[in-house]
Amino acid sequence: MIQVNAIGKKFKIKKTKKTQTELDPREQDGYFHAVRDVSFTCPDGSILGLLGPNGAGKTTVLRMLSTALKPTSGSASINGIDIVRDSLEVRRQIGFLSGATGLYGRLTPREMIYYYGQLHGMTREACRSELESLSSIMHMGSFLDRRNDNLSAGMKQKVSIARTLIHDPQVIVFDEPTTGLDVEAAEAIIRLIEDCKARKKTVLFSTHHMHEVERLCDSVVLIHHGEVAFNGTVADMKRTANETHLDKAFLNLIGKEARRAA
Amino acid sequence: MLRNVLTIFFKEFKEIIRDRKTLIFMLVLPTVAVPLLISLMTEFMLKAEKKAQQETLRYAVFGEDNLPDLADAFAADSSFERVILKDRSEINDAIADERIKFGLIIPEGANDKMTEGTQCQVKLYYNNASVVSRVKKRASELIQNYSEEIRNKRLAGIGVTGILQRDELLNPITIEDIGTADQRELIGERLGGFLPYFFIIFSFLGALYPAIDLGAGEKERGTLETLLLTPVPRLHLVFGKFLVVFTTGVVSSVLSLVGMAGYLYTKGQKVQGVMGEILSSISASDLALVGSMLIPTAAIFAALLLSISIYAKSFKEAQSYATPFNFLCIIPAVAAMIPGVELNWKTAMIPITNVSLAIKELIKGTMDYQLLVVILTSTTILAAGLMIFSTKWFERESVLFRE
Repeated sequence: MIQVNAIGKKFKIKKTKKTQTELDPREQDGYFHAVRDVSFTCPDGSILGLLGPNGAGKTTVLRMLSTALKPTSGSASINGIDIVRDSLEVRRQIGFLSGATGLYGRLTPREMIYYYGQLHGMTREACRSELESLSSIMHMGSFLDRRNDNLSAGMKQKVSIARTLIHDPQVIVFDEPTTGLDVEAAEAIIRLIEDCKARKKTVLFSTHHMHEVERLCDSVVLIHHGEVAFNGTVADMKRTANETHLDKAFLNLIGKEARRAA
Repeated sequence: MLRNVLTIFFKEFKEIIRDRKTLIFMLVLPTVAVPLLISLMTEFMLKAEKKAQQETLRYAVFGEDNLPDLADAFAADSSFERVILKDRSEINDAIADERIKFGLIIPEGANDKMTEGTQCQVKLYYNNASVVSRVKKRASELIQNYSEEIRNKRLAGIGVTGILQRDELLNPITIEDIGTADQRELIGERLGGFLPYFFIIFSFLGALYPAIDLGAGEKERGTLETLLLTPVPRLHLVFGKFLVVFTTGVVSSVLSLVGMAGYLYTKGQKVQGVMGEILSSISASDLALVGSMLIPTAAIFAALLLSISIYAKSFKEAQSYATPFNFLCIIPAVAAMIPGVELNWKTAMIPITNVSLAIKELIKGTMDYQLLVVILTSTTILAAGLMIFSTKWFERESVLFRE
């Protein structure tokens, strides 16, 4: 379960950048409030979609929940573990995959996945058996011992997925995992997320693709200008926006939020 | 901690040695470069020395009628070749454009002075900027011989004929020259300033690329964030990475040392002249001690370069940050070459310079081992401090997620 309570993150603005961002409503007292008072809950075994336009603050939220960034206000917990007080334990419980994630080009998928497994405290034997099972699900056997630099985009994506899941995390965080992928590679990710749900994993993912949201999400949180603009189910979102298509509902809610901010 | 550090170390090291660029910088260049440089220098010095000794020296003489015997002595020597210049004011230009190697001016009345038993002064013009030049030595030798001939005639004129008698008359007091510096110390002073520079620079170069790859490289490839999300304390991450960079620096500088040792034991013994003496005076234990000095130096460079690399956003940025640090490391290393800069309690505290000076002392065979302990301690403390700094940077969000 993911529990987020009024979490916030602000960054000190560099003097040189001040003039450029003067008109941004999130800039106050020399700080840029990337995320403000964001709260939501993602129950065990469910999928929550984090939506929002570029620069809304989605990645900052995900980075805070995955312990890469420390919140400046509020609190959050993963499976009851506080993300600030016990960040190492939180990291043991989560798997994180981002569309921008790279691979170690001079290693083979097997070497790289073992590396991450061992950094999660697994023995080589445990890594081997877990990788065997992931490899058979994702058909990775043919390229496990080729260098990552020589793999196709789809193969690389599978390696990233295996790397994320090698320690069998209970909570999985995906940051725009399908961005820049072709249909086949994107479909592999979608199927993975479905599979996670089937295995009662808790999934939090951010995306710009509304068809993915409709297909996967039990609930959505829409973030705009660093604040929650909507929190509920997909059906609720359409109803609130009075739209039949989710894309339009998304735009509508952002528009409303923008007017309100103005 | 050890398990995490070793996991990181072995993974990073595997990646580093699979990269051809790093292998060339870390293994091939240091092993080949030092012997090649010494070999080229030796060759060059020997050739230059030989050429300076054997070449026919063109010269111009003015006032030959003032002392025909001296002018005839030059003319009779086949290693000198006379060139006619229009005017004595031409001498400087003729030397500058290498038409002549030296110019000689014999003053008026020189012959009379010789007959009268007084003294005359001949002027010798030559290019004293050339290090390997033998012009002055060769020309003066001939003048000196002629001068001695006249002196002996004069002494014979007053009844001093025996060689011993002559010597006792001219030199009532003689000095026995007892230099306390042995040959090795003299040679070490020359070579000891120049060698540390190579060892230190290879320690830097060997660590440079791996350091950039392990910090900024991870950011650029997009692997840093996932690494930070593993349940491994940042200190373990930094220490594992530091060990890899440190190892490559040590390997690189030690290989440059091995390259030199290999040269000494294969070719060095056969080299003649001053260079041969220099090379054969360095023993295996000296080289081992020099190697031990390079370890803390590599630790400083590893921690420093890793800090720069973690701060940088990209590979390119890290490279541009590393350039000024390159100078910052070279300048203290070069300081050991400055005449008069010696190892003492003060200089033992200056990072890099202390190691450079210690290597010089080790080669000279005059090392004060108390100072060696000071250097090792101070350098280790500095390296540890830089590593803590590096770890702190690895914990700072503003450094890890610079945009």
